[in-house]
Amino acid sequence: MADKSKSTMNMVGIGFGAMFGGILAAGRLHEYETIHKSLVLEDLYVFYTMAAAIAVATPLLWLLERRHARTALAGPLTLSRSMPEKNHVVGGVLFGTGWAIAGTCPAPALVMVSSGAWLGLVAIGGIFLGLYLREVQTREPAAAGEGKRRGIPQVAHFGK
Amino acid sequence: MFDVLPDQLPWWFVGPALGLLVVGLFSVANQPLGASGAFVQASGLLRRRPDVAVWRVWYFVGMFLGGLVVTQVLRDTNPLRTGYDPMAEVFSLPVMVVLIFAGATLLGYGAAVAGGCTSGHGLCGTSQRSLASLTMTGTFVVTAIIVSFILRALTGGDL
Repeated sequence: MADKSKSTMNMVGIGFGAMFGGILAAGRLHEYETIHKSLVLEDLYVFYTMAAAIAVATPLLWLLERRHARTALAGPLTLSRSMPEKNHVVGGVLFGTGWAIAGTCPAPALVMVSSGAWLGLVAIGGIFLGLYLREVQTREPAAAGEGKRRGIPQVAHFGK
Repeated sequence: MFDVLPDQLPWWFVGPALGLLVVGLFSVANQPLGASGAFVQASGLLRRRPDVAVWRVWYFVGMFLGGLVVTQVLRDTNPLRTGYDPMAEVFSLPVMVVLIFAGATLLGYGAAVAGGCTSGHGLCGTSQRSLASLTMTGTFVVTAIIVSFILRALTGGDL
């Protein structure tokens, strides 16, 4: 990969990260209270937000896929779909339990800290430890995104 | 600092904005807008692993900075605080630290087992119409609701 494309990708990273963090903060999704109130079904903000996000993204991605869209920097758009396996259920139960107790998840935990909530640091430390424990157990870094994005390494598509 | 944003924008604005962001990152870079992957890469960089996707580390930094701009610049400055007021009414600080650390470790491990978290599976995977992501998302949402009510029962309705 050329250096120029690498630095372009780094800018994409920081830009999308910033928009993501900013939107989470705009919705107060970094606040324990927001998550907790949704999980005890007092205020369903988190679920409405997730449903609305999915309702907007799903048809657009479907359309782009159908039209064989090319991405700006990384060749043809390749969505990935996998069949459910045991790890999705086991991981879901563990993740859901932790989500309910800590009242945060990876992206909101970062925004928690930038909003001045210092216990977010404790959450971030725990998340790092949990991911690391799995890495030690399986001897490979965990994959991100939909399932394992099989056959699609993190940056292999970039710059062809 | 400037207090130009309301406390909480409505879900019908925040949700679609997140949805467009998911589509945006796929359209630009063919990548999911997942957060746990960014933690994996940031952790790899700190431990000097050789095969780190550096742009994901910038993405990690970006999430922090985006939050900083919104909470500290566009809103009235957020002071230093625990961030866990409802929990502080029930538990002492040391207990909270233990609970939050344990919960976060569990969710980090769970995200690694499942291959994604609220964003990777919950938003991006489901939007790709992946049954695996739908299963994972349904499982963690239902589990979290049940666990929250168990916690509520265990604390005599206080939490």
